[in-house]
Amino acid sequence: MAVINVTNGTQAILTIGANAVKATADTQATPGNAGGLVVPFVQDITVNATPGTVRYSTLDSTSSSAFTTVNENGLSLNLLVDETVMFGAGSNVNLAVQDGLFGVSKNKQEISFSVSFTGTGTTGDIFLSGRGFIGGLAPTASIDGAVWLSPVEIIVNGELTKTVES
Amino acid sequence: MTVRSDILTQLGTNLATHTNVKLSQELPWETGDNPLYLQNMKTVYVDEEQINVEQLYRTLDQSNVNSTVTTVNAYLSVDAKNQLSDINTVVANILLARNVISSTTDSASDYETDTEGDVITYTFEYNFTTI
Repeated sequence: MAVINVTNGTQAILTIGANAVKATADTQATPGNAGGLVVPFVQDITVNATPGTVRYSTLDSTSSSAFTTVNENGLSLNLLVDETVMFGAGSNVNLAVQDGLFGVSKNKQEISFSVSFTGTGTTGDIFLSGRGFIGGLAPTASIDGAVWLSPVEIIVNGELTKTVES
Repeated sequence: MTVRSDILTQLGTNLATHTNVKLSQELPWETGDNPLYLQNMKTVYVDEEQINVEQLYRTLDQSNVNSTVTTVNAYLSVDAKNQLSDINTVVANILLARNVISSTTDSASDYETDTEGDVITYTFEYNFTTI
């Protein structure tokens, strides 16, 4: 057992792919893929993997019971806004690179993503992946903050998948 | 251009009408245990700038954004018994020289005085924060 140390800059990496062909987008989003959009300047990232639940009460029990429904997954992060990553770098097979986070959010383009937990390129490295939609962009700037900051959400469409690199 | 040289240039402009006050391009180095501003009264000396860099934002990919605070001190000594008639304006114009530095998130200038014998020394401090 060991905690995952994220201080050397190579763990906790968010990679995004976007293409009309979902399999292509999935490949782009694989950690370490040259065609992926590695989101820079991330301050914090949170993976939400929550099963939906419904609570109910019965007359013969003094406490409520629950059953699970579908999983509700999502990603949230805060970042310093990079001009190219936010607004796009021009024509690219990866629409996330081409249109930027703002573009794929506005276009409601489904994206593929991965979040590396222990880095990438080494056997045993773990990442979570899935598909979803980018939302929650709210860039804000102030003279005290000095740079643009923005939250980002990925509303996951479907399940998260754990992969161990081999 | 350094912050010090920009301030020196601006001080030259701001003090141009104050003919009783000179501006030195030299650092206020010491000779005979006395800094130059005590030997050459009514002359403004600007010291070398001090720079302090701190992390403003830390990121997971270590692409950190730093905040740089640059501090510059300036000195002016005058006769405490016979203050310059326009000393208030001189001080105000020295303080206003901070406006020459642009693209800062914060700029400030203040001063304090120290009287020793019949000499009053004005020590000015400029602070500039940049990203």
